[in-house]
Amino acid sequence: MCSCRTCVPMIACLSLPAFELRTALLARPELHGKRVAFGPVPGERPLLGSCTYEAEQAGVWPGMRLSEALATCPDLVLVEQDPAGAEEEWERLLRRLEDAGFAVESAGVGSAYFETDGVERLAGGLQQSLRRALDAVGPTWQPRIGAATRRFTALAAASVAPAGRVVVVDDDESQLFLEPLPLSLLSRTPDRKRELSELGIKRLGELARLPAVSVADRLGADGVEAHRLARDEDARGVRSRHPASELAEELEFPEPIANEQTLKRALAALLDRLLARPERAGRAPRQLALSARLVGGGSWRRALTLREATADPERLGLALTPKLNEVPAPALTLRLELGELKDSVGTQAELVAPRGSRLRERLREGLRQVRAAAGLDAVCTIVEVAPWSRVPESRAILVPRDD
Amino acid sequence: MVARPGEPGHTRSTRRLNEPRDALVAADRGVPAEVGRVPVSLVREEWRIVDRWWTERPVRRRYFDLVLETGQNVVVFSDEQGRWFSQRA
Repeated sequence: MCSCRTCVPMIACLSLPAFELRTALLARPELHGKRVAFGPVPGERPLLGSCTYEAEQAGVWPGMRLSEALATCPDLVLVEQDPAGAEEEWERLLRRLEDAGFAVESAGVGSAYFETDGVERLAGGLQQSLRRALDAVGPTWQPRIGAATRRFTALAAASVAPAGRVVVVDDDESQLFLEPLPLSLLSRTPDRKRELSELGIKRLGELARLPAVSVADRLGADGVEAHRLARDEDARGVRSRHPASELAEELEFPEPIANEQTLKRALAALLDRLLARPERAGRAPRQLALSARLVGGGSWRRALTLREATADPERLGLALTPKLNEVPAPALTLRLELGELKDSVGTQAELVAPRGSRLRERLREGLRQVRAAAGLDAVCTIVEVAPWSRVPESRAILVPRDD
Repeated sequence: MVARPGEPGHTRSTRRLNEPRDALVAADRGVPAEVGRVPVSLVREEWRIVDRWWTERPVRRRYFDLVLETGQNVVVFSDEQGRWFSQRA
């Protein structure tokens, strides 16, 4: 938007829309320019995943019911989701950005943040450094970059940038820039979005103009967070990842395997092999990723982060084994990756307790880990159904949490 | 209000909170003398609940709020069949 700026660190957001679908189509060039969408995930609701531009032009959209989509667009081609392939490709792109000198934070497949100040001197300016990032990614992915002094504004800028282009939002015009943009950028829950829409709030500017106290009263902590972002008061920085240090092992089965016991044995063998690798040099992994190539060409992948790095095969097995139940189809290969390898050191308690979104993020991750270890019903909310009842066990029930 | 296992509307994942648990109680003329082999030091309170008498599963309980000799505070009740349960009241 503007090329002049004061010397404040800029945050850039790289966005690769429909990245997973593009990855899946890499292996099928004959589908280029066709109406293509991700088919439903086996065992889940029959809803479409990402769609190509051509499919959306034909009236099909992500989240549409499969039957409705096929009735609307009879020549729609469905492809299997390939999360493991997308993850591998994304990792390759992140490494290319790191090779170009950027310290990146991945915000999920297809989206990453990085600060530009380190590279600006090398590249000769902000625009040049962002161009360098685009070149590192390559034109195949139609990357777009937004840059601003605030993280959320950078995301908003990336959402309006044309393919292969950069949009820089200057600090003094960021509120004006955010004003007309849709609330969908805030990635609130569908219920919250509906609630805001019913209140007549559809743009970031409309939300930003509301008094903070009223927002807190009506929408709670979630609303306060959204209000803060809409007012361009996002204080989050970029937490760049540590240089990737990974070990991986893969087992190829002579025939497709759906038997849980066999998969468990394969997982144990992979763990043994990885823990015995000399490159590990006594370091313990904190991140684990289990993936499988499935019959029919699709893939499956689950990544998890341990609360503490450990090289104890029993604990690693306990964390990984429940994931095997989620493999949706017979597997042709099983692959295990160990990431964030760390030397064993003492744990340092935090001086300042985490607050706000960071605390919520940690809580969510903690709950996710509890569910992974103890089952989906392990984390519950107490719901009072008859607090007046004289019978104690009728006063409240435990309802599993969905978040 | 609360679906019971086996009844229509029951979901596997929803559970009742504070369900009564079987308790080992030795009573003397209907009043607990020992809970879990620990002698009762004091009966702090006693009350009765009669509820859902209009249903096929009426609730009739006699509750005791007790202090054991170890200093522990427990609440137990006996139902119509004379079975004993512990529960947080």
